[in-house]
This record gives sequence, structure tokens and C-alpha cells, in this order.
Amino acid sequence: MAIVDEVLALREQTLAAIEAAQNSQALEQVRVGVLGKAGTLTAYLRSMGQVAKEERAAVGKTVNEVRSAVEAALAESKARLAAAELEASINAAAVDITQPGRAQQMGTRHLINAISDEISEIFLGLGYTVKTGPEVETDWYNFTALNAPADHPSRSMQDTFYVRDLSGDEAAVRGESDVLLRTQTSGVQVHVMEDEPLPIYMIAPGKVYRRDVADPSHLPQFHQCEGLVVDKNITFGDLKGTLEYFCKAMFGEERKTRFRAHFFPFTEPSAEADVSCGVCGGTGHTHTGERCRMCKGTGWLEILGCGMVDPNVLEMCGIDPEEYSGFAFGVGIERVACLKYNVPDLRMLLEGDMRFLRQF
Amino acid sequence: MLISTKWLADYVTVPDGLQDFCDRLDLTGTGVEGVEKVGANLDGVVVGHVLTSVDHPDSDHLHVTTVNVGGEEPLQIVCGAPNMTAGIKVPVATIGSVLPGNVKIKKGKMRGVESHGMCCSKRELEQGTDHEGIWILPEDAPVGMPIAEYLKLSDTVLDLEITPNRPDCLSMAGFAREVGAMYRVPVTYPEKQLVEDAGLPGAAQLCTVEVEDPDRCPRYTARVIKNVKIGPSPDWLAERVTAAGSRPINNIVDVTNYILFLLGQPLHAFDYDKLVGEDGQAHIIVRAAEDGEQFTTLDDVERTLTSDMTVIATPERAVALAGVMGGLDSEVTEETTTILLEAATFERGRTSRTSRNLGLISESSMRYERGVDDNSCALNSDFAAALMAEVSGGTVCPGMVDVYQKVTLPVNLKLRVQRCQNFLGAEISAEEMTDILQRLGCEVAPSGEEGVLDVVAPTFRPDLEREVDLYEEILRLYGMDRIESTLPAGRGRLGVRSEAQRKMDVVNNTLRACGLNETMTYSFADPTELEKLRMPTEGLGIPVELLNPLNAEQSVMRQSIIPGLLRSVAYNQSHGVRNVQLYETGVVFYASQGHKKPKERQKLAGVLAGAMAEAGWNVAPAAFDFFDGKGVVESLARELAIPKLRFKALSAEEAPHLQPGRAAQVLSGGSLLGWVGEIHPLAAKAFDAAAPVVAFELDVDALLKAAQPSRPYVDVPTFPAVTIDVAFVVDEDVTHETMVQRITSAGGKLLESVSLFDVYRDALRVGPGKKSMAYNLTYRAADRTLTSEEVEKTHDRIIKKVCGSVGAEVRS
Repeated sequence: MAIVDEVLALREQTLAAIEAAQNSQALEQVRVGVLGKAGTLTAYLRSMGQVAKEERAAVGKTVNEVRSAVEAALAESKARLAAAELEASINAAAVDITQPGRAQQMGTRHLINAISDEISEIFLGLGYTVKTGPEVETDWYNFTALNAPADHPSRSMQDTFYVRDLSGDEAAVRGESDVLLRTQTSGVQVHVMEDEPLPIYMIAPGKVYRRDVADPSHLPQFHQCEGLVVDKNITFGDLKGTLEYFCKAMFGEERKTRFRAHFFPFTEPSAEADVSCGVCGGTGHTHTGERCRMCKGTGWLEILGCGMVDPNVLEMCGIDPEEYSGFAFGVGIERVACLKYNVPDLRMLLEGDMRFLRQF
Repeated sequence: MLISTKWLADYVTVPDGLQDFCDRLDLTGTGVEGVEKVGANLDGVVVGHVLTSVDHPDSDHLHVTTVNVGGEEPLQIVCGAPNMTAGIKVPVATIGSVLPGNVKIKKGKMRGVESHGMCCSKRELEQGTDHEGIWILPEDAPVGMPIAEYLKLSDTVLDLEITPNRPDCLSMAGFAREVGAMYRVPVTYPEKQLVEDAGLPGAAQLCTVEVEDPDRCPRYTARVIKNVKIGPSPDWLAERVTAAGSRPINNIVDVTNYILFLLGQPLHAFDYDKLVGEDGQAHIIVRAAEDGEQFTTLDDVERTLTSDMTVIATPERAVALAGVMGGLDSEVTEETTTILLEAATFERGRTSRTSRNLGLISESSMRYERGVDDNSCALNSDFAAALMAEVSGGTVCPGMVDVYQKVTLPVNLKLRVQRCQNFLGAEISAEEMTDILQRLGCEVAPSGEEGVLDVVAPTFRPDLEREVDLYEEILRLYGMDRIESTLPAGRGRLGVRSEAQRKMDVVNNTLRACGLNETMTYSFADPTELEKLRMPTEGLGIPVELLNPLNAEQSVMRQSIIPGLLRSVAYNQSHGVRNVQLYETGVVFYASQGHKKPKERQKLAGVLAGAMAEAGWNVAPAAFDFFDGKGVVESLARELAIPKLRFKALSAEEAPHLQPGRAAQVLSGGSLLGWVGEIHPLAAKAFDAAAPVVAFELDVDALLKAAQPSRPYVDVPTFPAVTIDVAFVVDEDVTHETMVQRITSAGGKLLESVSLFDVYRDALRVGPGKKSMAYNLTYRAADRTLTSEEVEKTHDRIIKKVCGSVGAEVRS
């Protein structure tokens, strides 16, 4: 048989083997057998020198053609097999994607601090800074400098925890003291007005204490966020606008705000602000006509106390009330938490129950 | 303050429905805390007609009656009243009704005879004090009509929050004035004509009044009413006193209470005869109490007074505690025939201190500490005297002893219209301002100056002292809702977090990323809890003690956050939650002798118990141990860029609250940041927490002070590294820290990092008392590819040095 015929026969044989290869490994064996160092086709190429001169051109051409054809077939088959194998491995690797993932367990922020953060964020956006103050205060910062002098009836609006005074001073009333746990964050106002340059735009979130037995709606320690603005030409309208913005940012654009005249010793005029009830939409009753339990049928939820800074307070802090005016407000953070999340029992905020904490 | 709307209607007509009225009160500063319909508690009590009444067969005082109450059949009712007789009309409590005092009327048998209800006395219905017999109603009372309807008992009582600045609203007349101002409607003020009996000796002959210190008692008036007969009040008076939330006592006392509620004037009625001295006159002295003076108040409590308190006295003894309460031995009794009526004013602050010092708050003291108008004392006294005479059959002696040494004058104020407009942010006209202030009882007139009004504030409004107080009144009645909302226009302010606040954000974010949940615990502490925890108190000052704690377990302020967190661990464990990861940042308190205020230090504490999570199909979280706590601290240090973080073992003596061998101090260079460790099992047990509990407590100030703004930048390597593993067998007491020190000091510049990847103990293979510590040593140069000779040379040097200095052997 002529060499050319042998090569052509090898071609058929090889192409059949390639076709028959079931996997990449078998295909590689075929390749090595034909095109490897000791491969059958390689042998023809190596022995070209021994081929008769007149046949050499034809044989060379055939061998090259066969090599091309084999390489093409190999490549095609390789790609096909690789695709098939990838598909098979992908199929084999399928998982039940409904099984739980491998998550890193993140911790959580306490609800009260989360709300405090939210309030801070709103007021930072309005150009306020965030201040803090001590939790144990003297009578001066908690009451007197806030225009509630000794024996003023407004002091009894809050039940105060008194602290033993170790300086040797004695109080005028038995069981009271010049040192106390702050009943309000308002004392921070005085510290800031004493220490910082004007104008002042600040909030001061923090812990406060009142002598209430812990029950579902009272805690002897809770949180307030104080706000204070002192600048030239501050009006009651500015107070309203600021707090309306705050209530919308906190509770939602659709919520309305109303202001009720009230009394605080350190503001004049003073007001309490209510936000419209989110449960009944401010109507005071549910769609079935029952009295709304959230707002007790009033359509409004009390949210904060506020007012124009009393000129006595400005004066005691060395600020001229003829030149400067300002407003102050105090928001109960637990109150906001209850309104936003319906916390049924405030004591849960202090128990550290993981099942509660991990919800926020 | 309770306001009966029925009573209010005598003086002012409210042009609004109840709901709108309440809303309007709320908006103008009088909070409505409750609305109660009175009369509802007499449901089931109806007018009955007694048809027959016969003596009970087995009793000498009971009657068996049949009573028509408008039903189909008359009811058989057994009644013990002596005045029961056929034909009368009486109030009948039918079966199922509930009488005041929660008395439920049920079907019963009295000495064998069935009774289907009860005929009532006035007292049983709380309509008076009469309990002699049943209440005989007028003959024309319609049978079957609910008694509340018949007696026009139905009333709506508002429970109002009167703010401390508005003493004028602590009376019916004052509140009527406020309502009149709110609605711009006329108010009819209560008046009563006093007729004095010229035949009697004048008050000035019967008594003298001496006020030692006019600051304590600006005004004291005394009147004398003779020939009174003490008895129950007429129905209308009893009804009014009841409506105001008090209880009828007798006609004279009820008048004092009525005037207090009606006009806001506290009064005291003395039994004149008990004040009279040997000269036949009553000598009233208003003086400071003596320190330690004993005095028995009306409520029969003996009280020890101080010189800060003021008493009303005769030359012999104190007879009343000024402004707070009368004395027991001069009170009006059934035998009293002559009344000395006091209408006075007392110093606000002193009254407040007296009542707080004695724990005695009365309707009088509450008004005096807010301010009672001096100028109306005399008129109020006249009103009361006239009424006493009317209800007790007495006559009023001519004249009044009036010691008015410290006169309160009306306050003159300037109101700058433009400034008020600017302050409120509203264009309220001068005319509207004038109208509002006049409605409130101010006199308003133009001043000489353009745009300035002269305002005279009435003396019953002690809160109107300054111009700004007028702004408030104008705003209140103009309506806050009418002010346009704006935002402050101030320029050049920036809302920025301070550096400390930004660092605290890093702390909180890092701890959360470490899987810790933020919590809050009480700042109050049990004075014994640090001892329970076995924590040394050195450096923690003395506990801050509360003078009025809620309970013994919360009687001091905490010196550590750990006890609170351990209580939370115990709480979780006892509720079936085994995996607990908590942290808290908060203040702890250290007091020191001689200092008014304690030090407050911000602390950061955490506890870990159980594991990070329950084991899952693809995760097996390890139980927490010391290294989880240490890891949290390391993460914090990395995120805060705290340099030279070190952990130093704490001995059992240094930290008895921690398990020895699993306790460390946390340091940055030389400064102490806090500690981390496993809570001593005995300490955990003392808090009912199941050990192990890993904990740490760090000082926030120290932490933030050590924190750097950022870590220094290190070039990313461009040349390859060579990593060689080596395991050293060392004695058990050789620490990782020592190993790293020795390795790095021997490694020089070419050693890039050392990392512990295995610790292995095996008595047979490693040897008893020994451990194998395996390290990855990474070699690299920043400027070239290291040759194997360079690496080998350094590596050999390290091995030689480490083996030599700590007695290690290389494990092959």
C-alpha cells in the first residue's frame, strides 16, 4: 500500500477514535497516540527523509493535510468534551438554595440609641452639633439656671433623685440635696451657653432620671434629646418650622404637627408639640369606628416640649436677650420608640433580652 | 384641678361642644387630663313610690314595703329606716345597681323576708351626710325616673392640668375668666352681699392680729362670726364641694372649702372660743415656729417644726401651721358657736418648703406656693363670712382686722409691638394684642412712645412680670396654629460630629461587626454587687449614694457595667437563650469625700456566653472562651488604630473577679485601657449566670485617647515572599509573646511576619509539660527577590537564637 493510502487510512482511523473519545482524558490519549513524540502521524513526518523523492511532495502534502484535519477534529472534540464536562460538573454541584447561607452574625444597635442616632442625623443635616453633659448635676444646672429657683412649684413637676452631697453643704429641705440625678437634658443648654461661642445650634441626647417605679409605661431612667438654638432674630415661627420638619423626617411626610401652649420654667412662651396619630391617621377612630387605642381617640400623640428660651436663662448665661433670642426643645426618646415600634413594655429596653435586642 | 361644667355654667357660657371645648383648652395651655360624666354611678337608682309599709313579723324595727318603681309589679323591699311610711317617694336602688363605695345591690332575704332592692338615704347616694332615715323626695317626683336625671346630678367634670405659673386658674372664678378670654364672651363673677350685725361687738374688740415678719405673711385678715350652729351643709353647698373633689364635713368647713374652690382663697375657720385668752380677747400672732416646737395638725399627727416654718399662734401656743393646715385643738366642732375666720397670704417658697419638709401637701399649701393674690383677701373674706352666716344661722361682727404690711402692687410693663411681632414671627396688630390682654384682665393704654403699649398686669396674675410674659399670652390666645412655620436663617453653621463622636461610631460599628448586641442596663446598683462580683474597688472611688432610692437594690450608682450585664446574661439563660453577646457603653460614677459632684467615667463593657450562634448544617460555632473576648478587643484596637496593643496576664490577687489563667490587662504601650477575661465561676454563680462568661471592660476615654487618626501606610509588596513553617517544642510556661519577641529580634529586616498556626500538646510525641508551637515565618525584601541563601541564613539564625534563649527544640 502506498504511503499516501496508509496516511489516509490513519486519518480515518484517528478521526473515528476522536469521535469515539468519551472524555478529555481519552481524547488526550488519542492525541498523544497520533501527534505525540512517538505518535503514528509524527512517525510519518519523522520518516519523510526515507520517502522516495518523487513521492515526497504528495506524501508531505497528505501528511500535513491529515495533521490539520486531526488537529481540527481534536480541537473541536476537546471543546465539546470540555463543555460537556463543565456542564456535568455544574449539574453535580447544584445545591438546595433554600438551605440557610453561611452568614456572619452581626450585632445590633440598641433601639434607643438607634433612634437617638436618627435624631442626631436629622439635626446634623440642619447644621446642629451634638453635645453631651453630666448625668449627676448640681441643683444650679438642673433647676436654678433654668429659671426654676429654689422652692419653685415647677420643680415638683418632676420627681427628683437626690444624691448624698459629700461637700458638707446641707439642703434646706430634709431628704433633698444640692446634688441630683438630672431630671432633664436641659442642663446641657446651660453648659453650652456658658462655654460655647454664639450662635448656638445644638442637640444633646442623653440619659435622665426620675423617681418613677418601673412599669410598662414608666422607667426611672430614660432618655431625652435636648435641642437649643440661640441666634439673632430667632422667632417662634422658626421653632415651629424646625420641629415640624423634625416630626416629618422622623415619622413620615404625611404626619401633621400641632402646638399646644404649655409651661416650662426655662422657656417663654412654652408649648408641647403633638404629631398626628399614625394608627388612625389623626381621625381618633379606626375604620370600624372604634376609638383609636394609640391616641386614645384624640388623633394626636404628644411628642415633645418646646419654647422660646426664657430671657432669664439667657441672662444667667451672660447672653443679652435684647440682642439674641432662641428656642429649645426636649424629645423623649423612649416616647418616639414606643410610637414607632409599639414597644408594649418599656422595661424590655433594660432587660437585655437577646430576643428583643436582635429585632432592631 | 376638677372643674364641674355645670358649676362653671353659672359664670360663663361656653359657646362650644364638649370635645371642641376640651381641644381649645388643650391648645391654650390648660391640659385636659380626664373627662368624667358624674351621675353614671347611680345607674339603676330610680324614684319609687311606697305603696304599702307593714312591720316585719320578726323584727321590731324593720318594715316590709311594696314600692312602685315604674315596673309591671311593685317590688317587695325590706327597709329599716324609722321614717318609712306608705305614700312617700324615695330613691330605690334596684337589683344590679352599684352604689357609691362599690356597694352592689343584690336580691336578699332579711329575717326570712325577701327584699328586691334598697331604699336609700342621702349619704348612701353621696348626696349629703344625712343618714337618719331614707331620703324622702318631693311628692311630685316622677315614679321610675332615674334619680340622677331627677336630681339633675348628671354633670361633666373636667380634670385639668393647671400649670404652676397659673395660680389664678386654681379657682372656679379664675377659670371662668380664662374661658371668657379664650372665647371673648362675658363672665359673671360670683358676688355676695355681706350684712354685718351692728349689734355685735366689732371684730377689732374681739381679736387682735400681730404679724411679726411681713415677708412671711404679707396680709392677714380676721373676721368673727357669732351664733353659728354647726350642722350639715345645705344640699347645694354639699353638692359643690363634692363636685370640686372634696367631701362635705360641716357647714362652716364646707364654706371654707367652697370659697377655696370658688375664689382660690384658702381660708381657715378657728373655733374662736378656743383662742380667747384671759383678757377675753383672741390674740393672733403670726410668727416663726421655734426649732423643735411640737404641733398637732388637724389630721391628728404630731409634727416637729423648724424656725423656717410659720405658725399662727396665740400667746400661749400655735394654733395653725401657716398656709398648710390648721391645728387639732382649735378646729371647728359641733359645740362651736363663734368662728374666727382667717383669710391671709403667706410666702410662697416658705410654704413650699414647709409642706415638703413635713410631707404635707394640702389644697391651701398648693395654692400658696403658687401665689395667692393679696389684694382680694378682704373681699374673699367678706364673701365667706356672709355665706357662713347664711348656712349656719350666725351673724357677722362688724369690721375686719386687716394687717396688710407688704402690699403687692400691679406690675407696669411696656409692650413693644414690633418686637413682639419679630419674636413670634407673626404680624399681629397692636389692636389684636390690646384686645387679648384686656380680655385677660390687663389694663392696656398707648404709651407716649410710638409702637409701645403700657400694660398693667393684674395682681392675680403673678406670672406676668416681664414683657416676654405678655408675648406668651398674646401667642396663646392668638393661636399657635396661626404662626407661619419657617426655618432659622442664620448663616455659616456646620453640623459636624466631633472627633470623639466619630471614634465612638467606629467603636459601635466594630462591636456590631464582631457580633455583639448593644444593650442598656440600669445605672442604679446594689451596694453589695461589687463584692458579689469579687471585683476590687480600688480606684473606683466611693459609691454615689441616692438619698431617696426606689429600693435597696438600686440605692447607689454603678461603679462598673459588668454586674448589670451579668444580670442580663442570667435573664437570657433563665429564659432559654444560651447564646448571649452583649455590650454597653455608659457612665459609671465614682464619688469622693469633700466633693460635691462625683466623677463620671464612660465605660465600654461586653459579655459573651454560649457561642456566636447555634450550630447549623454548614457551621459549627465554637463555645466562647477567653480568646473571643480578646479578639473583640483586638478588632477594636485595629479599627481605632491603637498602637502597641498589649495583653498582660492578671493574677488571682490582681483580678479576683476573673478566672486565674484566663485574665488579662489591656494596654496600649504603657497606658491601661481595661481588662478582658473569663468571669470567675464563683462570681458568675453569684449573679445566677452559667459560666463560662467572657467579659471585658474598657475605659472609653483611654481608648479614644490611644486611638490614632489612621494606621501608617505600608507599600504593597512587589517582590515575592518566602514562607517557611517551623514548630518549636517549648516548656509549657513559655508564652507566645516571648516566642514572637525572640523570633522577631533574631529575624531582622528580612522577616516580614510571624504567625502562630498551631499549638499541639502530646505527652508521648511532644513530651510531658511541653507544647509544640508552629509558626509561619514570612521573609521578604522590599527592593529585591530574596535568594534562597539569604533566607536560609536568616531562618537558621532565628532557630538557633530561639532554641538557645528559651530552650526550644525544633520539631521535625
